[in-house]
Amino acid sequence: MGIVRFIIRRLIFMVVLVIGVSILIFFMINAIGNPIEILLAERPGISPEVIESVKQYYRLDRSLTEQYLSWLGNVLHLNFGNSIVYNQPVGSMLVTWGWETVKIQVLAILISLALAIFIGVTAATRQYSKIDFGVMSTALLGRSLPGFFLGILLILTFSYWLGIFPSYGAYSTRSPLMGSALLDSLWHMVLPVMMLTYFNTATLTLLIRSNMVDVLRMDFIMAARASGLSAGRVVYRHALKNAFIPALTYLAILFGLMLGTAPVTETVFTWPGLGFLYITAIQQLDYPVIMGENLIITLMLVIANLLTDIAYVFIDPRIRLE
Amino acid sequence: MTAIAPHNDQLLAVKKLRVHFFTGAGVVQAVDGVDFAVSPRETLGLVGESGSGKTISSLALLRLIPRPGKIIGGEIIFKHEDLIAKREEEMIKIRGKNIAMIFQNPAYSLNPIYSIGDQLGEILTWHEKLSRQAANERVAELLQLVGITDPFSRLRQFPHELSGGMKQRVCIARALLCSPPLVLADEPTTNLDVTIQAQILDLLQELKERFHMSMILVTHDMGVVARMADRITVMYAGRICETATARTIFENPRHPYTQALLATMPRVDHSYSDGKTRRLPVIPGRIPNLIEPPSGCRFHPRCPASDDECARILPELLSLEEGHWVSCIKAG
Repeated sequence: MGIVRFIIRRLIFMVVLVIGVSILIFFMINAIGNPIEILLAERPGISPEVIESVKQYYRLDRSLTEQYLSWLGNVLHLNFGNSIVYNQPVGSMLVTWGWETVKIQVLAILISLALAIFIGVTAATRQYSKIDFGVMSTALLGRSLPGFFLGILLILTFSYWLGIFPSYGAYSTRSPLMGSALLDSLWHMVLPVMMLTYFNTATLTLLIRSNMVDVLRMDFIMAARASGLSAGRVVYRHALKNAFIPALTYLAILFGLMLGTAPVTETVFTWPGLGFLYITAIQQLDYPVIMGENLIITLMLVIANLLTDIAYVFIDPRIRLE
Repeated sequence: MTAIAPHNDQLLAVKKLRVHFFTGAGVVQAVDGVDFAVSPRETLGLVGESGSGKTISSLALLRLIPRPGKIIGGEIIFKHEDLIAKREEEMIKIRGKNIAMIFQNPAYSLNPIYSIGDQLGEILTWHEKLSRQAANERVAELLQLVGITDPFSRLRQFPHELSGGMKQRVCIARALLCSPPLVLADEPTTNLDVTIQAQILDLLQELKERFHMSMILVTHDMGVVARMADRITVMYAGRICETATARTIFENPRHPYTQALLATMPRVDHSYSDGKTRRLPVIPGRIPNLIEPPSGCRFHPRCPASDDECARILPELLSLEEGHWVSCIKAG
């Protein structure tokens, strides 16, 4: 009962937020300039009639409010408009480019989660040992490195020197690896996934390790050991579940901000995903694409937050949604 | 006779137990040659200030010394077997099943994210290989015994839904699940309201008799041991000062530390007035640093009766009379 009302309230809030964000973004882009004028600034000598007809074609001759409302109305019919640069429907672009982003990001998050739990627990149960110091310093280094730097190192090592993984793109342009499209795709994913995994793992591991260290000191852990439960059972069943609760928020941020971290990775590896598309769309003031991407980013953040709040209720009995 | 000789009728005999903590600042000699014994159905009060090593001694019985601590010597003879020689897999079968422990702070000694039924039932399915259903019934039965009403509906409750006294009752039930012959109670009432304290002590006494258990009651509260203990062992700075029956400790204490400790107990039949001020006596000084403990007797810097010899000679625990051991060279 409580949970259903909570979800409905949050969904209403989500609609309001999405509209608010889209209004902000729409007027901010327009403050930068008009795509047609930018296009024409590079090619002088086009007659005003042509400019006018192009503006009319893209309906850029109307007032901003009208433009926004027509965009919003179309979005309600799942019509996100056409890209000015690619001249394709934005909706299907978001799906095809989005898939490329989601597949490397989700894979990286899942690998990070498994690694972070294993490494974090190992380090925490051996606090202040050499293993612990090694894990902590590697993770701290990982968090402090600028994102693109590791990407460049990976390209230099694995593509340039060793020549075993491709440095750019999601697919081979000529023949796929060993004639298999799947293998070819996985082969291209290796380096970007490595880069994302490293950064996600670094933060998640530090988080899980420090939470584990705190939880392992608690009396109920000693009480569970004193009841005769084995060390492994106490660590994984009693301590980890408690230690994981605070890490859940970070996990949600990773999912929600997937598209926020995508531009760096996708620019370094020329990866045809939403991050790459976003950067080029902003450079070329491709309004419909920018607006569509923002809609997706906002929705993903809000949904990830909502799912986290719901997950908390199931993991931690002390939390009740009011 | 230097130490408490193990008798065949003893359930537990701890001999020359030494637990040291290997810290960056140095080796902390937290427990340094401790002897005590517990007979079946007996309650032994283990008394001392914080830092005297009483909690560490009881954790050592379960071989659960937290890092960087280590048992570096001695024997823990339980049911004629030395627990120190046992492998970890064997210790798992001792903990909870043969020796159980009740902790100081009931608010933190239950896992907050599992229901009472889940976490108590887990111990039974683990140790006794009971089915979920049988485990639940046994847990409910014990909850009833520790004075919790409507036990079956409590199984689904979580620790945060219970009061402090209730939680301690649940912790007591958890300790008794496998009917262990020995229960270690580490300051079981320290964090409870005074009115609840008496109830919990009565409950422990009642259950101890019902289950024919022995108990080691670790406390700094002389009032609690006076009420509960058959025999009392007084610890100071990781060593034993005196062991005797409760009656002897209170009526004829021979170690200066025991005497000083008893003098700090407020008594209704005493006047603490010295003409000007009214205050309880205190033991001057503080518990020593156990990285470099005092030479000789560890109590000598604070002891009113000490002399040069006390700083040189490490006193052995010697028998003064039947059942009364003292480690003080002055208590001849």
